[in-house]
Amino acid sequence: MSQPVPAPAVDAAETPAAAEPPGPSTLREVARDLWDYRELLYQLTLRDIRIRYKQAIMGFAWAVFMPMFVIGAGVLVRYAMAQFAGRTLAADAVAGIAVKALPWAFFVGAIGFATTSLVGNANLVSKVYFPREVLPLSAVLAQAFDSAIGTLALLVLLSLLGVDLGLTALWAPLLAGMLLAFTAGAALFLGAANLFFRDVKYIVQVLLTFGIFVTPVFFEPAMFGPSGAQLMMLNPLAPILEGLRLAVVAGHDLLAPLQAVGRGGLEVVAWSPWYLLYAGAWALLGLFGSAALFHRLEFVFAEYV
Amino acid sequence: MPVTEPGIEVTRLWKKFHRGPAHDSLRDLIPALARRLVGRAPAATSLGAGDFWALRDVTFSVRPGEALGIIGPNGAGKSTLLKLLTRILRPSAGRCVVRGRIGALIEIAAGFHPDLTGRENVFLQGAIMGMRRAEIVGRFDEIVEFSGIADFIDTPVKRYSSGMNARLGFSIAAHLRPEVLLIDEVLAVGDLAFQAKAFRRIHEMAGLGVPVVVVSHQLDRIATLCTHAILLERGRVVRHGTPAECIAAYVQGTEAGAPAPGVSGIRLTGLTPASDRPVASGERVGLTLRGTVPVREESLGETIGIRVRALHTGQVVYATGTGDWGISLPEAGAFALVVELQMNLPEGLYAVETYAWDPLRHLETARGPSRTVQVKGGRPFWGSVQLNSRLRLEAPAPDALASRA
Repeated sequence: MSQPVPAPAVDAAETPAAAEPPGPSTLREVARDLWDYRELLYQLTLRDIRIRYKQAIMGFAWAVFMPMFVIGAGVLVRYAMAQFAGRTLAADAVAGIAVKALPWAFFVGAIGFATTSLVGNANLVSKVYFPREVLPLSAVLAQAFDSAIGTLALLVLLSLLGVDLGLTALWAPLLAGMLLAFTAGAALFLGAANLFFRDVKYIVQVLLTFGIFVTPVFFEPAMFGPSGAQLMMLNPLAPILEGLRLAVVAGHDLLAPLQAVGRGGLEVVAWSPWYLLYAGAWALLGLFGSAALFHRLEFVFAEYV
Repeated sequence: MPVTEPGIEVTRLWKKFHRGPAHDSLRDLIPALARRLVGRAPAATSLGAGDFWALRDVTFSVRPGEALGIIGPNGAGKSTLLKLLTRILRPSAGRCVVRGRIGALIEIAAGFHPDLTGRENVFLQGAIMGMRRAEIVGRFDEIVEFSGIADFIDTPVKRYSSGMNARLGFSIAAHLRPEVLLIDEVLAVGDLAFQAKAFRRIHEMAGLGVPVVVVSHQLDRIATLCTHAILLERGRVVRHGTPAECIAAYVQGTEAGAPAPGVSGIRLTGLTPASDRPVASGERVGLTLRGTVPVREESLGETIGIRVRALHTGQVVYATGTGDWGISLPEAGAFALVVELQMNLPEGLYAVETYAWDPLRHLETARGPSRTVQVKGGRPFWGSVQLNSRLRLEAPAPDALASRA
């Protein structure tokens, strides 16, 4: 049975016969892998939630406090603006900030955790096989759990502010779905990018810190005038956040356009149904594009992590 | 062989790695991209600057009921090969097909989170290993019992000793129901009692008829567990055969190639055993060691040493030399030393090593060839030395009976 394999004299002179083409990288494959490993996705999400609340003084209150800080900061800014203009801050404006602060806090938290999720679990990535998508996705889902608790607190706050939820509030689940899809896509992309280039996480930190200035959380795009508003709405998160505010607080049906009076009495497009399509396209194309890219790259993760 | 049968098929497998730092920040990427635009990216099948082949042209197959041992020095590509089998890595060229659900006893506690309890980690690690919830729930009690740390199952893992950690990890892995079993260096977990238990468990799992691949430096474990083996050196299969043959080739290769400390000039050129077959415990083996003493101004008065090393522990169990026997080497010229050893040792693999020894400076001056001897069979006993015992039953003498009565 034994046969010593003759070793060639010069190693460099030989090359492998033929390279196998890389395997198919279809989204169906991603979906099947994720379904096979759904238990792992669940367990990793549970792990992320558990370790966040274990040995933490604030416990689950943390999920409420973080958006509260954002709301507080927003109210302070808007209060100053109102004072300067010689007006009072309406309850509607506070409610509008609250409705947009929660999804923003979700996005910031999820992207922050997801960006480092692959590098932070390097021992798993380099040593155990599983679809690597579960790492950034579980970071997003753990943050979504936080936000679900935050949503309950938000509902209490809204009723205290005298906001009556109308039928138009039913747009909220759709917008939340868009946000989740967009966040998941960004999480996959940034998680993979940070694995190859370790400075990505610093760039992400800077972008998330300054993102609040170019995302309509504390303010409304209409405040910037006709062209400024449209420019502001190019941010994929802007239509989602504005949509939430209009549907939940203002009781506006998102299928109808809305004009607002902006700076100097100019008519400004505050909402157009096209924004819904625009944000939806970002969410879906971003998710599918990132998932496809991620899946193509994940076979070399173990070599770079 | 039907396509659905579990098995491993590795055909002309090549894997390329990059040596040295890759560009791992965006700051490095831009110049790299610029270079790539000017030049051309290396193809998958050729080596670029700093690339090397971690695996070259590896071919083997493992069918149900077979267990393949992979041995070789550090950096030979053993772990790379396992990572290709588990799909963590992708081949640069060739094919690597594993049919069936893989159970990998590799890094068995990699997924443990220190802040979670043992119970929580069982579910997490189980999921990482690909177990379904129902499977984990169904085997949870078995897993905890096997690990022997039931009292601490609700304690955070960060308070565990490293042994407890490994025991829990192994217990989870041991309760997988794989169709293909891959094992990497997990044969030495926990204390001695747990190691024995773990090894029995692996034996059981391997005995279920699933294809098994084992990577280990514990050569005797390879010898007992595997049906065949491959010896990897610098990414290449240099030997493919029975475990004993591969282990022998490995031990001889590493020992003969070891640089001799100091210069004596004595050369030990050949060690021939009387036969290659396994010897029974207590049996005598004869070996002939050939060498030459160079012509030199002053003799160092070296002796030739023979030692027997147990391969499973790496420990020298016996050593003797020409000095002990009052044999002096010729002043110069060739010599042949005939050695007879009675292998009063338990079953296992042993290496007979040869060396030149300077009794004044107390150091090895030359390393000679070595041979592997497999001790197998003979009268069964327990312990570390064969004492050639004789047991018999005798009828008591009649007067002894009388005096007691």
